[in-house]
Amino acid sequence: MDFNSIETTGLTKVYSSSFGKRKVQALTGLDLTVSAGTIFGFLGPNGAGKTTLIKLLLGITFPTSGSARILGEDISGYKIKSRIGYLPENHKYPPYLTGGEVLDFFGKLSGMEGDLLKKKIDELLELVNLSQWKKTKVKNYSKGMMQRLGLAQALLNDPELIFLDEPTDGVDPIGRKEIRDILTELKSRSKTIFLNSHLLSEVELITDRVGILNRGKLIREGTVKELTQKNEEYKLNLEGSNVDSFIKQYQDIFQISKLNNGYCNLKVSDANELNNILDKLRGEGIMVKEIVQQKNSLEEIFISLISESEKGGLK
Amino acid sequence: MKNIITVTWYSLREALARKVFIFFFVISILTIIFVGLILYLTGIEKIFAPGMQSDVFTAVNSLEMMFVSPITLICLLLSIFSSASFIPIMLEKGNIDLLLSKPISREQLLLGKFFGGILVVFLNIAFLILGVWLIFSLKFSIWNFEFLLTIFTITFIFSILYSIIVLFGIITKSSTLGMMIAYLLFLIVSPALYTAKYTLSVLIQSSFIKGLIDFAYYFLPKTSELMGKTNYDLASGHGITNYQPILTSLLFLVLTLGISVAIFRKKDF
Ligand SMILES: Nc1ncnc2c1ncn2[C@@H]1O[C@H](COP(=O)(O)OP(=O)(O)OP(=O)(O)O)[C@@H](O)[C@H]1O
Ligand SMILES: [Mg+2]
Repeated sequence: MDFNSIETTGLTKVYSSSFGKRKVQALTGLDLTVSAGTIFGFLGPNGAGKTTLIKLLLGITFPTSGSARILGEDISGYKIKSRIGYLPENHKYPPYLTGGEVLDFFGKLSGMEGDLLKKKIDELLELVNLSQWKKTKVKNYSKGMMQRLGLAQALLNDPELIFLDEPTDGVDPIGRKEIRDILTELKSRSKTIFLNSHLLSEVELITDRVGILNRGKLIREGTVKELTQKNEEYKLNLEGSNVDSFIKQYQDIFQISKLNNGYCNLKVSDANELNNILDKLRGEGIMVKEIVQQKNSLEEIFISLISESEKGGLK
Repeated sequence: MKNIITVTWYSLREALARKVFIFFFVISILTIIFVGLILYLTGIEKIFAPGMQSDVFTAVNSLEMMFVSPITLICLLLSIFSSASFIPIMLEKGNIDLLLSKPISREQLLLGKFFGGILVVFLNIAFLILGVWLIFSLKFSIWNFEFLLTIFTITFIFSILYSIIVLFGIITKSSTLGMMIAYLLFLIVSPALYTAKYTLSVLIQSSFIKGLIDFAYYFLPKTSELMGKTNYDLASGHGITNYQPILTSLLFLVLTLGISVAIFRKKDF
């Protein structure tokens, strides 16, 4: 796909309290594009402004300055929302309605009706494993069940762009896996998914790109691979009687250090240096059994980026 | 339009889930039964003097009003109480987010809620008044269809008070202030201004104070006048004798609703 589902330019939001005294800068000059057919993970500490962005894009809150487009249209219109799905954080449903009725209500608001809507409701309840709860009032639902219902609700109108604010919050591990599968399936049908989440290990599993937000500012954006790859760090598995002496001999020249079980860690400045070392190892008759480029977990990167940005912010 | 109907319909569902409206319904049923018992068991027609036979119509009419008025008053007070939380509940975090993410404009959403509240009260009042009217009509074989028009006056009065509740609900996101102002207007300000305008002002010398009373009288809705004179005129077949209270009150309603929509359209959630 070659068009952008979400485009923001200089999007800024300042909340002012009712008396205008306390101002919160929730989002500062955000420039972001999310291309169609991808899963985008939006990460950031509590209060970073993640939910604020979604609310701005959906016209729930209005921007202080800057502009944004979703599915190619300006965010000021409401009709475009018939092509969008949204699962808010802490969503509430009328407690006196049953799961089926909740879906009926929001389906009708999304412009659906009749047999088509009925069919869709059953299909979605099946998808999120709530079929046997269709006629139960939502006030009797557990937290995870509410979340599943919320996901079904977000998918009612077969949306092209789906905003999910912590969709797996309160869902058990099996349910989380199921939700991940649903999201992957949606992506395969070229839907765009914008995902706010704190569960970085999950985000790592399914997203194409991630953006990291801190205090309303986008501090990093890229593919998961770009972010987590430690470019010039390798783990080598070596075999040979002279491994120890090799390391001793070269540890001042190259950044090589011994780990356990025949493994050692190597930091190089570029591919040339890596090959240089490999030549030397081979020249000494050392067998290179395994060579793995080292990766950070998304979580490690997240924590280090945030703390870096915090230090910068304090200056 | 379809959006407004959906929201209206589901507001009705919301109201039916409230105990107060059930209570309201029970009161209506009890009233109808009570009226039936009195009419059929006590021989109330004997209280009419024989000479009055020719004017049975007026007598029956007065009796009907005598039964219906206090009950509708109670119903109105209950309706204000129970509908006051409609808007604040809609504006709760997690609820409004979802509603606004749907392809429905903010005006449609608010109007749907407004009509929903009115529809509930209309149905309740219609049930009560129709029931009482039917019993009277059957008993005396006098079919005064104009009595049924009071269903609309009462609903209109509620709409005015509800528009105030909606406005303050949107501003404060809570039900208390709007409810208090609605009660204050309905029970104190409106009757007081009516008295000031038509009884006291003859005694007042200062033209400034007179002007002030006039302004308040014409600006604020005339709920007590609608509830009293307009209602009574309609019920007894005299039609609308004075359009002023209806029109000025309607103007107030439209203004309040307009301001509500304007504020709601700009509000951040
Ligand atoms: N309606 C509002 N009025 C005033 N301030 C608000 C409002 N909504 C959010 N904020 C403030 O804006 C900032 C960003 O909030 P936001 O909800 O976007 O954070 P978040 O990244 O979603 O956090 P979390 O991970 O906790 O959900 C916070 O400081 C919050 O206090
Ligand atoms: Mg959030």
